[in-house]
Amino acid sequence: MEDKLDLKNVKQRINHIEEVLSSVAAGDLDVRVDSTVEDDLTGIEEAINILIEDLTYELKQSINMQNDLQEKLKKIQDQQKTIVQQQEDLMELSSPVSKVWDNILILPVIGTLDSQRTQIMMENLLQKIVDTGCTMAILDITGVPTVDTQVANHLLKTVTSARLLGADCIISGISPAIAQTIVHLGIDLSIIRTKATLQDAMIYAMKQNKKSDALITSNLDEIEEREE
Amino acid sequence: MDHFQEKKIPIIKIGSYLIVSIQVDMHDKLALQLQSQILEEIEKTGAKGVLIDISVLEMVDSFIGRMLSGMASMASIMDAAVVIVGMQPAVAITLVELGLEMPGVDTALNMERGMELLERRMASINDD
Repeated sequence: MEDKLDLKNVKQRINHIEEVLSSVAAGDLDVRVDSTVEDDLTGIEEAINILIEDLTYELKQSINMQNDLQEKLKKIQDQQKTIVQQQEDLMELSSPVSKVWDNILILPVIGTLDSQRTQIMMENLLQKIVDTGCTMAILDITGVPTVDTQVANHLLKTVTSARLLGADCIISGISPAIAQTIVHLGIDLSIIRTKATLQDAMIYAMKQNKKSDALITSNLDEIEEREE
Repeated sequence: MDHFQEKKIPIIKIGSYLIVSIQVDMHDKLALQLQSQILEEIEKTGAKGVLIDISVLEMVDSFIGRMLSGMASMASIMDAAVVIVGMQPAVAITLVELGLEMPGVDTALNMERGMELLERRMASINDD
């Protein structure tokens, strides 16, 4: 059975418990309450020891968790960097404007259009129109999978700005799916000249070229005739 | 008032066309003055076409934009076609973003193309 509480020792033992508790509070988790005798205080001493064990375990657990989280965060940051890098690459690749014939520019659009990309595309196209002096621009959207209201709006804006510069824009390669969406969305593309394929657009543009050349020559002839 | 009058934008008549080259920054008063100046000149000379060169303008606000498109419709009811030439890409984007798409205004890349456009216009009218 339990020994009688030895009052002489009690003060010393309580002091010891206090010391242990204060060092635990200071962060030292290796200390334990030593008890040599078994009496009424032993229960408390053991409880304190168990508490310290539990605390140590929880602390370890939370440190592990923190490390895990940090690793994951680093991974996510790396992925984000890759995404940004790829977006920049895509941006550079996305909008080549090439002159394919006298007076004719082609802008093939491939991939999904977002507002940032369309903005860059639009600026490139307009700048190229001014630089080359071409008055026909063909926007080929064969490679665009879907068109929503925003994209249609961007296309309209591009065509309108090109018109303000004095160039005609033709849109070619509208797929059945896109045609359906555009009509279902109620977007009016009738102010834009659309052609089925890039080939049709090229033929139209070249005819238009010829027409304007012919008109000018006939006009000049007329003026000459009048002068004679 | 006198100050603005001194800074008139020159209007040059060549053949049956008027050529206006805007080479200063436009402010609202100057724009309005230019508008009436051009219309008066159309009446006086009986010009059939007006070429407005805005290639130097780096900024066109909604007021100037509206003035330009207004002038085109005014001139067209006076039987003169207005062609705006040499608009800069940034200006075009700004105007479209402002919702000023200038329907009914003819545009051309440069003075030469604008001239061709007017010639073509004249030719088709003569054909009719």
